Amino acid sequence: MGEAPLLEMRGIVKRFGHVEALRGVDFHVNRAEIVGLVGDNGAGKSTLVKIIVGVYQPDEGEIYFEGRRVQFKSPREARDAGIEIVYQHLALIDLLSISRNIFLGREPVKKIGPITILDKHLMKNEAWRILQDIGVKRIRSPEERVAKLSGGERQSVAIGRAMHFKAKLLILDEPTASLSVRETRRVLDHILEVKEQGVSVIFITHNIYHVYEVADRIVVLDHGRKIADLIKSKVTPEEVIEIIRTGGESLRAS
Amino acid sequence: MVDSKKILRELAQHPEFGVLISLVVLATAFASITPDKFLTIPTLYSALTLASELGVVTIGIAFLMITGEFDLSVGSVYALVPMMVAFMVNSGVDMLIASIIMLLVAFGIGLLNGVITIKTGIPSFITTLGMMMFLRGILLALTGGFPVRLENPHWLIYVLNGSIGTEGLRTGAIWLVIVTAIFSFILDWTPYGNWTFAVGASAETARELGVPSAKVKIINFGISALMAGLAGLMAFSRFRIVDPTLGEGLELEAITGAVLGGCLLTGGYGSMVGSFMGAFLIAMTRVGLVLAKAPAYWYRAFIGVILIIATIINMTIVRKFVTSG
Repeated sequence: MGEAPLLEMRGIVKRFGHVEALRGVDFHVNRAEIVGLVGDNGAGKSTLVKIIVGVYQPDEGEIYFEGRRVQFKSPREARDAGIEIVYQHLALIDLLSISRNIFLGREPVKKIGPITILDKHLMKNEAWRILQDIGVKRIRSPEERVAKLSGGERQSVAIGRAMHFKAKLLILDEPTASLSVRETRRVLDHILEVKEQGVSVIFITHNIYHVYEVADRIVVLDHGRKIADLIKSKVTPEEVIEIIRTGGESLRAS
Repeated sequence: MVDSKKILRELAQHPEFGVLISLVVLATAFASITPDKFLTIPTLYSALTLASELGVVTIGIAFLMITGEFDLSVGSVYALVPMMVAFMVNSGVDMLIASIIMLLVAFGIGLLNGVITIKTGIPSFITTLGMMMFLRGILLALTGGFPVRLENPHWLIYVLNGSIGTEGLRTGAIWLVIVTAIFSFILDWTPYGNWTFAVGASAETARELGVPSAKVKIINFGISALMAGLAGLMAFSRFRIVDPTLGEGLELEAITGAVLGGCLLTGGYGSMVGSFMGAFLIAMTRVGLVLAKAPAYWYRAFIGVILIIATIINMTIVRKFVTSG
């Protein structure tokens, strides 16, 4: 372990009123590593990633990104640092076109005299390239509204958007939850491609078999604590499921 | 071969599609009732004059509706701005300075609407309803219910709403076109326009993608009030007198114009050109009914029916062609 992890979180605590959603979690992601983040509902997975991307701020604990102490106050700051997230709800806006969605929040502009305008030409071309790369071939134009896309196509567009902006860390929240078998395969392939490019990935899911296919390491949360941090090659999917089911009892038993 | 279904599908992607049809249908109807009077230049100009003040308010409200919020206080701001300008000018302040001050005040009132709505989480319907009554009350208290007249004419009133030629055209129509063009440009060609659509469709999603959603909403409240103030000054310039009840009910007409123009009450969808046409449709109906010698009372009833029918058409178009796969 010569190199420092890309992301390191130490002793993260987050409270909502009287509820302690995270109770001192240590978590790290190495460079070009795929980490599966699993656990039952209410385990604290979403809260943990929302802290990483600056939606929430932790009540206690420290976060280091690329070796530097960070404190993201907004999603924008995390994005600027190179952290992209694809939410389960995908964060796509149905009424807007695909290209407007892809560039929402960081639109490319050009100057005509003193006036700054959207570089629509660039938006259209780049969006088209992203659609081709990601394999959404049915769509005739990136000017079509997102409302026209199927579930799998939406997932692809959301991942394509995150990848386009050269993220160092890509977080995927339940990316395969509502997809068909073939669409799931494509998303898993995307994740492996991203890793090839040197990007680290956090893969949140309920489906242990999906994460097991691509992850290097699997972290299990339970009631706001980390109860297991496993090298994938040393466990079977069934063992991971057992750990989640028993809340870590199976680990202590063996 | 022309595929008419495909063309319809393409046309339906534009929020202005519905209002364009309504305009053509109504214009045809009026033209067939009073063929000699309706299709004339003076008729067009009087409709434009009527549309200009309403239209500027409508543009501001439509921009805010696309952001997913409401503003019922526009009618009160529409009266407050010229009233205060009249007071100031009559006590010796230059009208240009007085107007700039009051437009800034109007913008500030809008920002306040926005801050209250965003920070407390109460619906903008309520915030701006309260603001509407508060400002109107102040106006009535200050004036004792009496109108205030502009004592000496000023060059600004010719700029804001002076006559051009002798057929009834006024500079107000030019202001409406300019305002429509500016906000249309902002919506379609700037990042801020993209944010406005996105915040209206889903403020939370926009925020997750790094858009300062709260700021966008607050600024657009300001824009709505600013446009209401400008329109009030245009009305003042036309009549040179301002009544403390000026603009009562205007908020509903402006919302009607925006909805006719294709803006969804739920936000995230709409058009400035459509809203312009919506306001023009209302003005044209008023002029057309007068020409047809229909009793003035029928105007509101007529607009009410048009509003409901046009909304049904717009909703159907959106459901069928815009939001479905």
